Amino acid sequence: ATAMNYMPGTASLIEDIDKKHLVLLRDGRTLIGYLRSIDQFANLVVHQTLERIHVGQKYGDIPRGIFVVRGENVVLLGEIDLDKENMSTLQQVTVEKILEELRAEQEVRTKTEKLKIRFCQERGLVLPHLDTLDEY
Amino acid sequence: MLGPGSARRRGPWRPRDELASATQELGATSREMFALGEGGGAALRSLDESPIEEDEEALREEDHDIDQFNEDTFGTGAVEDWEEQHEGLDDHAEDPDDLLKENNLAESISKLVIDSDLEDPAIMRAIPSNPPLQAPPRLNASMWDGPMVFGGIGNPFLSHLEENRMLSGSKDSILPKRPALGQDEERDLSDRAPPPRSTSPVIGSPPVRTAPIGTPPKHMSYLASQQPSILCPTPVHVRAPIHQRFSAPFNERMSPTQLLNLANSSLRAHHFQGGVTQMLNPLLLGTAQQTGRMSPSHFARMPGLVGSQLTAMKANLLQSRMGQMMPPVTGFRPYFSPATAGHLQDIRSSQSIFRADTTHLHPQHRRLLNQRLQLQNSRNQHRGLNGSAGDRHSRGSYHEQAKKDPYGNLMTQREKEWVSKIQMMQLQSADPYLDDYYYQNYFERLEKKQAALDLNSEGPKKERTKLITPQVAKLEHTYRPVQFEGSLGKLTVSSVNNPRKMIDAVVTTRTDDDETKEKLVRDKRRQTLFTIERTYSLVLEVQDLEKKFLQVSEAERPAVLEQRKSKIIQMYENLRGKQAHSTERVSDDHFVQIMCIRKGKRLAAKVLHLLSTEQAANVVLATARNLPYLVKKDSQDEVLPCLTEPCSLLVNRLPSSALTELLQQLTGSAQSSQPGSQFPSILQNKFGLTLFYVILSQGERLQSSEAASELMQDNRWTELVFAVTRELLKVPQASLAKPLFVPTNLLALFSHYVDRQTLNVLESKLQLSGKPR
Repeated sequence: ATAMNYMPGTASLIEDIDKKHLVLLRDGRTLIGYLRSIDQFANLVVHQTLERIHVGQKYGDIPRGIFVVRGENVVLLGEIDLDKENMSTLQQVTVEKILEELRAEQEVRTKTEKLKIRFCQERGLVLPHLDTLDEY
Repeated sequence: MLGPGSARRRGPWRPRDELASATQELGATSREMFALGEGGGAALRSLDESPIEEDEEALREEDHDIDQFNEDTFGTGAVEDWEEQHEGLDDHAEDPDDLLKENNLAESISKLVIDSDLEDPAIMRAIPSNPPLQAPPRLNASMWDGPMVFGGIGNPFLSHLEENRMLSGSKDSILPKRPALGQDEERDLSDRAPPPRSTSPVIGSPPVRTAPIGTPPKHMSYLASQQPSILCPTPVHVRAPIHQRFSAPFNERMSPTQLLNLANSSLRAHHFQGGVTQMLNPLLLGTAQQTGRMSPSHFARMPGLVGSQLTAMKANLLQSRMGQMMPPVTGFRPYFSPATAGHLQDIRSSQSIFRADTTHLHPQHRRLLNQRLQLQNSRNQHRGLNGSAGDRHSRGSYHEQAKKDPYGNLMTQREKEWVSKIQMMQLQSADPYLDDYYYQNYFERLEKKQAALDLNSEGPKKERTKLITPQVAKLEHTYRPVQFEGSLGKLTVSSVNNPRKMIDAVVTTRTDDDETKEKLVRDKRRQTLFTIERTYSLVLEVQDLEKKFLQVSEAERPAVLEQRKSKIIQMYENLRGKQAHSTERVSDDHFVQIMCIRKGKRLAAKVLHLLSTEQAANVVLATARNLPYLVKKDSQDEVLPCLTEPCSLLVNRLPSSALTELLQQLTGSAQSSQPGSQFPSILQNKFGLTLFYVILSQGERLQSSEAASELMQDNRWTELVFAVTRELLKVPQASLAKPLFVPTNLLALFSHYVDRQTLNVLESKLQLSGKPR
């Protein structure tokens, strides 16, 4: 077996190979697929990948094939428990539907944001806004 | 390549044939020459006895060949634009996509598969004893070979690897030396004389389609039907079928030639993009060594450019394998130093330059390269299968999984080990306590817990898995500039490790006479700060040494202790200042300077813990002596109380004489018998008062412990106590500081010296009874 018992206390992806994983990327995408290969930078080769879009209790999968992810773009990844996956309460819908839902959600969000800003401006308050992403 | 072959023929063959074969070889090998870029200087010795004169002749012939080759490519025979000439050659009727259709696929694979070669009588005849594939293996395997190559072979060949290391840098080494040709090759050559070349081959002319004598007709028809395009067909992921196909026919009894034969029919038309090619170059060359020279038969055996579906598949395979080949190879060396990494990059880049003009290679060049590539690939496939097959067998329970997951084990065991090796290397450190403090501590605690549990259970001591990272010694790299002999000056090659020296910064001490007093003071303060910092580092070092002491073996412990001791002495000197003369007392100035600085006081507190009693007493005495001044200075910082603990610890160890002296110093009554005028200010300071109490408490303890107390014999003590008592009574209660703690035996102390009434007063004033205010 490929047991890494000579490296206790370390983190390694070797044990995760050939297992189904969920990978969260820095751009917000969620990928689900089988982890086939890794390297020292945690670059990943994900096989039979699905890009899963979640909106509320619904989700939609876009089949993507093989993904090669550069390690620095990974936020986190974790093995999917296949049993628990079956017991999930989320509802799967078609890709078109989920994209619609996503759009709707985005609209709602931008509307509330605009409203907030307007209200604050009326009252002479300044909302702290994020000029830059990520670090600040 | 040429030499021994022709040498061979010289014997049994007639002169006419010899010439013919020679010219054939010329034509065939010219491309190869260019592919390799090597001059014909490599004289290959055959395995059989070859007289020297034959070699010489071979060399001469090779020289002649070179000229011929050059003629062909660059001379009058050369045609610039072969592409145009090839335009009309491809079979337009055939749709490239059709080739990828499955029905063709199966057929072609079965045709191409080695079985056909094995049945080939010519081959069977040629090879007296089919050498096992793995044994001759790739003695001169280049380092570019992935883990798959060595999967079956193991480490013995690492030494060979070292020998033929491509990392030795120069381009020349990239081109491998051609070792002796195997018998197989020669025999094959003899059987596979390609047809004579009537004219100098025009680059761009239709590829030589003549087949060697022994080629089974199947090959011919198949190949004839294929389109000789060099275009890259759409790669198709048909990994699985190839896997399965290859496992069967690939047996150990294949000669390189057979493999080459197989390789022939595929990938011929595959036009490699630069990126892939540049990495493949060493591979191909590596293959070349094994096969010895490229015999004309090789060329002959690739009649026509084949744009086959197999090509596509193999291309894909190759590409998919490429990524895997490269890194594992580089990581194969046990300690993958950054230098090598750089080197690798250099090699690759140099190869890219080298490769840049492959686009204008004679098509047969490319074919040659491709077929070598294919050979390499097929070899790797073979080995890879062996390796991974082993992996599969070891996981009997996973057999089902493996069945269900056809894509499993894409990452071979070897590759996994490679990645973990890199991870291990990253953990190497010269000073683990510095680099990975939390990990070390965590594991120490874990082990302690386990050890405690073990002791409870009284069982056998379990070997707990511990991450054993080799501790690399810190290497000092001093850059020595390269200098050529006989030249003036040195070359400076700047890198990240030794950056170019831009400024010659030299420290000059100014010896101005008109340095103002303020400047002096400032410098003095700066010096003091430096001293404090240095001493702090010493404290940290001692702490590390103490930790190390526990970790290190018994033998090394005295050394560690010594180090610790010397550091402590240094500390003391730093703190207290150096003695001008051995007999003189050290002046307090230095110490006082330190103590005026907040950090200095904290430092003193730390150092006091480490000092011996005598040294510590010295320090505390100095403190007490200068306490009024220090108190004044400390009014803003109020850091003095940090000294309370170490001081009280020390005081409680003090003998009576020292104690008396301390009290004397504290009260300022060293010179006169009366307490100094500064004494009340001490009482108004928290630290001062606490110290005072501590001293008195210790005195009381000493007094009450021994029957004939030393303390009492010395008048000074009694006098002092009387004096301080008087002072205490004088001092208004409000101005008294609130001590950090009040020792309980003070009441008892005072009871020896004062009457009942006074005692009551003292008790209430000083809150000696311990009742809250």
